[in-house]
Amino acid sequence: MMETLLFVPGWPGGPLAWAGGQTPVAYPAQFWDQIFNIWLVVAVIIYLVVALPMIYFLFRYRYRKGVNEEGSHEEGGFGIEILWTAVPLIIVIYLATQSFANYTQQRTAPPGALPVKVQGMMWAWTFEYPNGKKAVNDLYVPVGKPVKLLLTSTDVVHAFHIPEAKTMEDAVPGRVTHMWFQFNKIGEYRGYCREYCGTLHSMMLATIKVVSQDEFDKWLQQPS
Amino acid sequence: MQEAVAVQTPWFRASFKEWILTTDHKKIAVLYAVTSLVFFAVAGLMGLVIRLELTSPGMQYVSHDFYNYLLTGHGAVLLLWWAIAFWGAFTNFLIPLMIGARDVAFPRLNQLSYWFFFSASILVLITLIPSQHIKMMWTGYPPFSLNDGAGPTVLYVLIIWLVAGSTLGTGVNFITTVLKMRTPGVTLGRMNLMIHGLIGSIVIQLLGVPAFVGAVTMLFLDKYIGTGFFNPAVGGDPVLYQHLFWFYSHPAVYVMILPAFGVFSEVISAMSRKPIFGQKSMMIALWAIAILGFEVWAHHMFTSGMPDWLRIVMSYTTVLIAVPTGIKIFNWVATLHKGAIRFHTPMLFTLGGIFMFLIGGLTGIPLALPSFDIHVHDSAFVVGHFHYVLAMAVTFGAFSGAYFWYPKVTGRMFPEGLGKASFWLMLVGSNIFYFTQMMVGIAGMPRRYADYPAIPEWITLNEIQTVGAFILAAGVVLSFLAWIRGLKGPKADRNPWGSPSLEWTTASPPAPHNFDKFPVEVPEGWSPYHYGKRS
Repeated sequence: MMETLLFVPGWPGGPLAWAGGQTPVAYPAQFWDQIFNIWLVVAVIIYLVVALPMIYFLFRYRYRKGVNEEGSHEEGGFGIEILWTAVPLIIVIYLATQSFANYTQQRTAPPGALPVKVQGMMWAWTFEYPNGKKAVNDLYVPVGKPVKLLLTSTDVVHAFHIPEAKTMEDAVPGRVTHMWFQFNKIGEYRGYCREYCGTLHSMMLATIKVVSQDEFDKWLQQPS
Repeated sequence: MQEAVAVQTPWFRASFKEWILTTDHKKIAVLYAVTSLVFFAVAGLMGLVIRLELTSPGMQYVSHDFYNYLLTGHGAVLLLWWAIAFWGAFTNFLIPLMIGARDVAFPRLNQLSYWFFFSASILVLITLIPSQHIKMMWTGYPPFSLNDGAGPTVLYVLIIWLVAGSTLGTGVNFITTVLKMRTPGVTLGRMNLMIHGLIGSIVIQLLGVPAFVGAVTMLFLDKYIGTGFFNPAVGGDPVLYQHLFWFYSHPAVYVMILPAFGVFSEVISAMSRKPIFGQKSMMIALWAIAILGFEVWAHHMFTSGMPDWLRIVMSYTTVLIAVPTGIKIFNWVATLHKGAIRFHTPMLFTLGGIFMFLIGGLTGIPLALPSFDIHVHDSAFVVGHFHYVLAMAVTFGAFSGAYFWYPKVTGRMFPEGLGKASFWLMLVGSNIFYFTQMMVGIAGMPRRYADYPAIPEWITLNEIQTVGAFILAAGVVLSFLAWIRGLKGPKADRNPWGSPSLEWTTASPPAPHNFDKFPVEVPEGWSPYHYGKRS
């Protein structure tokens, strides 16, 4: 039912026709791109629907001495007021439901994702892999494989944001939160702290090193 | 024509002692306005230093710590001393006049409220001392705010306590005034939408401020007594603070915007020479916003680690707010239809404010969608969005109101040319500034960053923002000049805008006792929006 009513974008690797068939640098960015495009279209239309009549009225009904000195005595209109209550209501309910559909996928890591524990501290990141290997400020991940981050913090609240994957989540002391992503292109990217955490908040950057599976396996086996 | 027989000194001739001891709502309003404008200027300057520092990557002018202090000060002062307190001046000045009352219900409580606020202002000045810088951002999230690197938590807590005392005092006072002291004929349904806006925001404060005060009190206990409300090391939960904080601090944005809605309604109706379109639906929409505003707080916490189902619930409640706000915008536009529109300075600020609120609203909708928010949360996009609402819609509303009632408060007319020049500079400057700020946020730039990596796109967008910020600042300076020069301007009539609203029926500036005859009489079928040709 939901699939027929809403544009549900394809799963990673699935058909991505709505985005011009392009695979994003990192998943789950396609879900964000889609909600962004929908919002932009809706917002521009609403803007024009309000702004154009407003500008027209400002010109058409401007004060002119001797010609237009007093307004009409118009106090309201029941029909039109119902119309501009009902239409926005339908639009926003649709938007929230579309967001709900996308969000579920943005939050649910695909099966078989590589779990990595992330620990934020003032002002550095520690990444711990399933075999116990640890790295500071460098997040090594294999290309083309989903990664699930399990975040926590040793001191204050931090947040980990990956611009290419267009996703983030807070790292809260005393809790474990989660997020997932998958890079589709080898290279170096940045991860940012997105929750204010003191003096060097803006310096709390991580480097995401996306390497081939072979290279990743080799790195993982080296002692830290 | 009845004039007061006994000539009493108008407010601007009052001695220093009279100012300090006054219980007159009009003098107290002027005290609020002046205090608020001084802090507006200071926090604006802080904003300019922040902007200069962000123009290019690297640290050029200030240290990381000082930058964080500036950001905390800019946010806290503009929210509490400008976007909330400046409306305190309107509440004090206008409400008794608009309902035809001699003063407020409890003048001494009103005086006490102002001096609580004044004491908090002194504490803010203390934070200027280098060792006393507060660096926890206006949100004061623990556990960071429990950390010594955050600055003196006690100052933050005391400031909130004092401001809250002032707010609650003002709240009970004005609710009583409006319920009990309206002159016969001014019914709740007929009275000015400005009063509904101001009282709506006061009701929100009465319901919400206690949660905020509770949160900072727990912060105080955690930091100095060693309790563990928010400290995970002893079983507390930092996310609890975020819930308590936003339970008030989200509705607080409606505290700031509802009075601006009131100004828009008064000005657009008076300057179009038409009754406000759909007065009843305007009233219902305003109160719907005030009530719905309490069901949406956790949209500030879409990435905080709270359960996903709660994020979805809050997403639906948040988008619903768009419906009553939409009604208000459509009604303002419809008010222009078949009007006779005069483009005086207050009208320009109102129209600009509505346009900018439209953009602020449309960029707020995606922030209510967790699927969108997941990329732009705590980014410059959020900052750009809320500056469209707060720095533009609210500030333009406040400026519009200041110009509109300037002749009533001072008895003089401001220079129109300066006012209009100020408007165009502010409109152009702030659009350049905040639109590019949203763009750099979409491009990924986080907020609250003193420094940022040298990404060419980010640098260009930051340079443009700084240019916009200085144009905006120049516009603000012109308005200050207009208000100062206006004090020596030509004498204003009782009713320069030809409005039937009650505050315009008394002298400009009003006598200390407000009206010459009590009870103030209003004609049969009176409405503050009684404009327009009747056929």
